[in-house]
Amino acid sequence: MLLVLLAKDLRRAWHNPLPWLINLIVPLAMTALLGVVFGAGSDNSKLGRIRFAVVDEDQSVLSDMLRGAVNQNQAGDHLEPVFMERTNALKLINENKISAVLIIETNFMRDYLTARAPVSLHLIKNPAESISPAVLEELLGAVVTALNEVSRNFNSEFPEWQAVFEGKEDYHKVSFLIERAGDRLKLVKSFVDPPLVGYEKVDSLDGSNNGDSQNDGKADVRGPIHQGLTPAATNLAAAKVSEKKNNRPKNDNLRETFAYLLLGLSAMFLLFLGQNAMTDLHRELRMRTFERYQTMHSRLWPFIVGKIIFAVVVLLICSVVMLGGGGLIFQIQWQNPLPLAALVLGYVLFVAALFAVLVAIVPDERRAGVLNNIAGMALGIVGGCAFPAHQLPQFLREHITPLMPSNWFVETARNVHFGNPNAWEIVSIKLLLCSVVLTALAAVLFRRKFRTGVRA
Amino acid sequence: MSLLRVERLCKSFGAIRAVDVVSLEVQAGEIYGLLGPNGAGKTTTISMISGLLKPDAGEVFVAGNPFSSDPQKAKGIMGVVPQELAIYEELSGRENLEFWGRMAGLSSGEAKSRAKDLLEALTLSDRAKDAVKTYSGGMKRRINLGCALLHRPQLLLLDEPTVGIDPQARQNILEFIRNLRASGTAILYTTHYLEEAEDLCQRIGIIDHGRVLAEGTFSELQDRLGGDRVFALEADFKNSSPDAWDGFQQRFRVIQKSEKQLVVAAVGARDPADCLKELLNLPVRVENVSLKRPSLNDVFLQLTGRELRE
Repeated sequence: MLLVLLAKDLRRAWHNPLPWLINLIVPLAMTALLGVVFGAGSDNSKLGRIRFAVVDEDQSVLSDMLRGAVNQNQAGDHLEPVFMERTNALKLINENKISAVLIIETNFMRDYLTARAPVSLHLIKNPAESISPAVLEELLGAVVTALNEVSRNFNSEFPEWQAVFEGKEDYHKVSFLIERAGDRLKLVKSFVDPPLVGYEKVDSLDGSNNGDSQNDGKADVRGPIHQGLTPAATNLAAAKVSEKKNNRPKNDNLRETFAYLLLGLSAMFLLFLGQNAMTDLHRELRMRTFERYQTMHSRLWPFIVGKIIFAVVVLLICSVVMLGGGGLIFQIQWQNPLPLAALVLGYVLFVAALFAVLVAIVPDERRAGVLNNIAGMALGIVGGCAFPAHQLPQFLREHITPLMPSNWFVETARNVHFGNPNAWEIVSIKLLLCSVVLTALAAVLFRRKFRTGVRA
Repeated sequence: MSLLRVERLCKSFGAIRAVDVVSLEVQAGEIYGLLGPNGAGKTTTISMISGLLKPDAGEVFVAGNPFSSDPQKAKGIMGVVPQELAIYEELSGRENLEFWGRMAGLSSGEAKSRAKDLLEALTLSDRAKDAVKTYSGGMKRRINLGCALLHRPQLLLLDEPTVGIDPQARQNILEFIRNLRASGTAILYTTHYLEEAEDLCQRIGIIDHGRVLAEGTFSELQDRLGGDRVFALEADFKNSSPDAWDGFQQRFRVIQKSEKQLVVAAVGARDPADCLKELLNLPVRVENVSLKRPSLNDVFLQLTGRELRE
């Protein structure tokens, strides 16, 4: 009978595919959107380069060096300078074709090397833009600071350098000046390389932190990634971490982050998709077909189980779309796919049975929508699907979250992926048992409702 | 053979007594009509008979056995056609019939074969593959009826199966039901259409406010009004009362009285011409008198004091 019921629902879905396609398209679209924004396909270097004009009115060696610096190496990836006269540059900014104009004014090199005045570079920002001119301003500020620092430290040598730039010195003098500057730079090496304070992302070395830390109270180190300020000069442990990290492919951090997020998001989406799939039970009530079934059979559970199986099929397809498609988009290689599949199966069974119970509690479709949304949101949020569970308030985290089947699924699935596939069998069985209990509860509730004459 | 026997069935929803001590019996090859206005308790009665609702009191016997002793067996004997369409509009007529046939316990082959036969009998073969949502109201009603017949039930419960369809489609369905009766099926048929009950049913129970007020063949119900004739007088009855007319109560029974009309039946077997003379001699200025056979509406009127169509 279950096969006949399932075949009927699949046939109905085939004849009227739009609601079910929407069910599939929603996770697909969400996954694709996340992938486009954050996935491996996106690359920061491909962000638009900042186009700006450089007006070199000094035409000196130093200004030439500055001009060269703005479009070489990494700067060239982000900046697109165009060199021109001041009039033309101002015309372009008026036409909103460039983000700013950098003006290196006359006597820039002479003033700098003679230390007559602090370094001064003139930046005209395009008022029609906000981000790019601000970025340029910040960069220019850094350049000016660096030039001032160089001026402060090498001030005594500037007259000789000026003579070099003006072509008044021979090669012996030039080589001597370079050698001496090099020696002085060596002295400051320890202060600038490595920096005294650095910012570093540190991967957890193994997945065991994920589960264990839940109980030891060190919530701040849970998950595959945490961030923090590391005193690099003294923190050997961090150095070791960095060393190990460097052995991994460059984009692994990003992928693992998305694997972590995708599992939570998928659990959340499955709750909403489960709600959508089980609205078909509301439809059966509204169309009186459930009632007609009862005129033929005394036992209600086959009809409810048939509907749950149908919802599970829909949810499994959605899971494949989300986790499989998401894996492709984010280039995630799911570790331990079999345990993960068992967990997903247990979870979608639980979700479908849960919403069957909610349909039995509130048979009216419109009123049920409100309850189901609240239930889905609550399970998702409190279960740690939307946010990492350790970020929840203490009471929820310690007393409520561990009771949530959504939390069992998310935490175990993450552990399974990040290398700790120990508890998946128990959690899968727990989810399965939950779904059995909920299905029986739904059958009892439906029977009671029908016996008292309640209709959708 | 009594296929359905209902004894003193009661059902309340809160303070509302929906069914109040209803008893009835339906024989094989008989159509029993349960006639009453909307809200009379017809659907609640059928819901209890079919096991959808649990009665507060009373018992249902199907083929001689209490329903409660083996509900599944009882359900296998009966077919239920709900008042509202209970079919899948996305599926075709054939798919609906086949699915409900499988639900009724037929094998795939049997369900297909029966669905084909029923589609022909219901004159729907040419639209068998079309989605039900493209059907007319009458066609949907026929499919709704057919879905209860796949397993050849001995007892058929029809809850207002012709509601909301045009007269021609109604006639098609009624003809189909007559054929079912001819094949020996016992049918409990609820309706609020007088003509259907008069034309179709061998016995009729008139139900109102959850109680069966009268039961019997159409003739037996007519006899309750004192024979096969009633007189309808049109006059100004605003200021006159039949109670005040000398000897009127002994010769006529008042079925209905309004300001403009008085409907009466003669007491005893008397010559209609004599009755007519007596009525024309009443102390009111009678504008018109008509003689007619009593209808079920007149019976209902006499039992409840209001018309069934109100």
